[in-house]
Amino acid sequence: MLLKLLQLSIRNILRHRRRNGVMLAAIVVAVAAVVLMSSLIRGMQEDLAETAVASLLGHVKVLAPGYRDDPGIQRSFALAEDWASEVDEGAVAGWAARVRVPAVIMSERGTRGVQFVGVNPAQEGISFLGGAKIVGEFLRDGADGRILVGRALAEQLETKVGRRLVIITQGADGLSREAGFRIAGLYEAQGENLEKAFAFTGVDALQRLLGAPAFTELSIRLHEEPALAPMKERLAARLTDLDVLDWRELAPQAAAMFLFADAAIFIWFLIMMGALVFGLVNTLVTSVMERVRELGMLRALGMRPSSVVLQVVLEAGILMLMGVAVGVALAGAVIYWLADGIDLSLWAEGVETFGMSTVLRPVALAEDVLLIVAMSLALGVAASLYPAWRAVKVRLLEALGR
Amino acid sequence: MSVETVASLGASRPRAAGAAPAGASKFGLAAAVAWRNLWRNRRRTWLAVGGVAFATALVQFSMSMQVGGYAAQIEAATDFFVGHVQIQRSDYVEQARFEQTINGVTSLVRSLEVRPDIRSVAPRVEAFALASVDERSFGVQVLGMDAARERRTVGFLKRINAGRMATGPDEVVLGSALARNLGAGLGDEVVVLGAGKEGGVAALAASVSGILNSGIAELDRSLMLAPINAVQGAFGLGDEAHTLVVRSADPLAGAELVGALNTELPQGAKARNWDAVLPDLRQGIELDRLGSVFLYGIIIVVVTFSVVNTFIMTVFERTREFGLLRAIGMRPGAIIGMVQLEAFCIWLLGVGVALALMVPIIVWLSSYGLYLGEEISQIETNMFLPDRIHPRLSWAVSLTAPAIMLGGVQLAALAPALRIRRLQPVAALRAQE
Repeated sequence: MLLKLLQLSIRNILRHRRRNGVMLAAIVVAVAAVVLMSSLIRGMQEDLAETAVASLLGHVKVLAPGYRDDPGIQRSFALAEDWASEVDEGAVAGWAARVRVPAVIMSERGTRGVQFVGVNPAQEGISFLGGAKIVGEFLRDGADGRILVGRALAEQLETKVGRRLVIITQGADGLSREAGFRIAGLYEAQGENLEKAFAFTGVDALQRLLGAPAFTELSIRLHEEPALAPMKERLAARLTDLDVLDWRELAPQAAAMFLFADAAIFIWFLIMMGALVFGLVNTLVTSVMERVRELGMLRALGMRPSSVVLQVVLEAGILMLMGVAVGVALAGAVIYWLADGIDLSLWAEGVETFGMSTVLRPVALAEDVLLIVAMSLALGVAASLYPAWRAVKVRLLEALGR
Repeated sequence: MSVETVASLGASRPRAAGAAPAGASKFGLAAAVAWRNLWRNRRRTWLAVGGVAFATALVQFSMSMQVGGYAAQIEAATDFFVGHVQIQRSDYVEQARFEQTINGVTSLVRSLEVRPDIRSVAPRVEAFALASVDERSFGVQVLGMDAARERRTVGFLKRINAGRMATGPDEVVLGSALARNLGAGLGDEVVVLGAGKEGGVAALAASVSGILNSGIAELDRSLMLAPINAVQGAFGLGDEAHTLVVRSADPLAGAELVGALNTELPQGAKARNWDAVLPDLRQGIELDRLGSVFLYGIIIVVVTFSVVNTFIMTVFERTREFGLLRAIGMRPGAIIGMVQLEAFCIWLLGVGVALALMVPIIVWLSSYGLYLGEEISQIETNMFLPDRIHPRLSWAVSLTAPAIMLGGVQLAALAPALRIRRLQPVAALRAQE
């Protein structure tokens, strides 16, 4: 029975190829636009998270209590050798223990304020620093007593590789420290803000200067975002006297943008389907109204009203299904074509202010596509209800008399 | 409309078209017929009108929101700190160096202030120094400001939320995070050490008269405000400043003001509009606009497809009628023209519905504003997103969406109607209705 109805619906669609072809084109454009847009929004989200995580944050960061309000070597902690093995459980992609203190940096031509960070270069694969382009040399190891500064900062200070810079900061005993550092290299980062904010040296060298064999932060990168919550719990249980914060808490701006993106996908869908629904209902009602005689005949021959409804709903469903299939395929092709990313460098400062990189890569998530497909089909069925009701309302004698 | 009335039409006797008085122009008649044709299938007409109205209303609403939102963003951003127009030495714009100052500031400021297109001007000195309290030292950006002029020009000094702006040479205001990092409170002594002009040592000992909480972490961590005379004195500057911040009489006419200033200013000085000073804001707006253009384009395409469909159905169902009109001598062009008029009527109704719905809403919202939720304003960026958007109604915005939709609707009606040219009257007359 269902098969017969299906056949009937398909034939009805094929009776008006031009009209249904145009309707199909409208569905294809709307669905493709929603899928494409959702993938761009997801790409933006992923980029926001990645940029935030890579900016020395990591997914989770461990800080001494009070460090956020009053950053300095006084708010530091010692790290047990075996801390990682106790909490890892296969979730950790990498971690870095650093010393980060506010400092004044001076060349013979200028003075600036920076975050002075002691790193172990071998651990920095988890941050932007590991992959940054370097002019000159990278730091050799944690004992390297040279300095690595951003290209933009070097320009401000009018200095270059091999020259010396003076750092003034506060030691563990509260007294000022002043020391000269030779520039090992200049790093390039996404955006000048990063380049101006951070200067790096070997962590052991900085600990010696400050007079404390301790760290101010432990940054942990995970293999995947979902492992974040349990990892936070394990860390909090293990490192009881320290603050354990995730990137959303540390970069609330990126996290808020992240949330808005979800709503944006839904709004896009509603708008597109709103535009579509008028045409869909129009096509279906016409298709019902020109078959009044035929429907009357079928009813007279004993077709139940429910079957009439089903026939119209099937017609809408098939039209929608075809449109969705082609639309998703079209969006897929466009996404594939854009796989290398859209170059936004014309608006570099604008996107960097939002914490994004200048290349936007679409990311198609299976669950988004499935959701769009399911919602589109549901909308197709909903749009067919009024035409189906019209079809059932057909009066037998009147219809046959036409 | 029955076949008889249509036939009488073809014979150019307007008797039957009741809406048109005798002697009315041919066009008036055609319009009357097109209007009547619309109501032969009310449901279909209203659905097509609904599509047009939906697209027009949505595009019009969001364009008004954009115009209002951008204006609010720009006003908030310029009023916060940077002003509408900034004047600096052109080499200071490229690469800021302390010695690159504008000379003769007092007279320059006075001459600018009397211009009718400028409301106020505030000179600023910008230096970098080391601020210390006891054993703690941090790098700070020292801003020398003329408090009275500054208050007339931007709202930045309103952000001093404890104490007051420094008034004498022995007072400074600290950013909130800087004060916390230094461990300094109101009344505490701060020592400022920096490099003055020509390599001299600049030193300043002052007490904290106020704490600035701008809401922008970078500024709160690094800013120190002091009276401009004190900073000029300490850093070895004469009647000089690095930046003149200008509040213009008409913020939208910034480009003209900048153009005029750049021909009049002394050699080496350069005026820049806010969009050059805040490229990130301008680019953020451009990107947002680009995304919306994509959205509007797709909506209009989808709705246009619906209208195409409406006319495919209309033309198909009226094959017999068109055959008859052809048979009695109506030219294909005239029939296509009639269909175009029907499309125009659909557009007119759609836009009418859209305007009737949207204009009151936009007017109401333009005074009350659309509340977007607290989260928006808590996003701390240089974008200055408002948490309440007041849409703005303007002719340009009100006409853009309808104009594009008109093009779409007329094209949509044209494509199916072109078949009429190939219509064989005899075959068409036999077509089943």
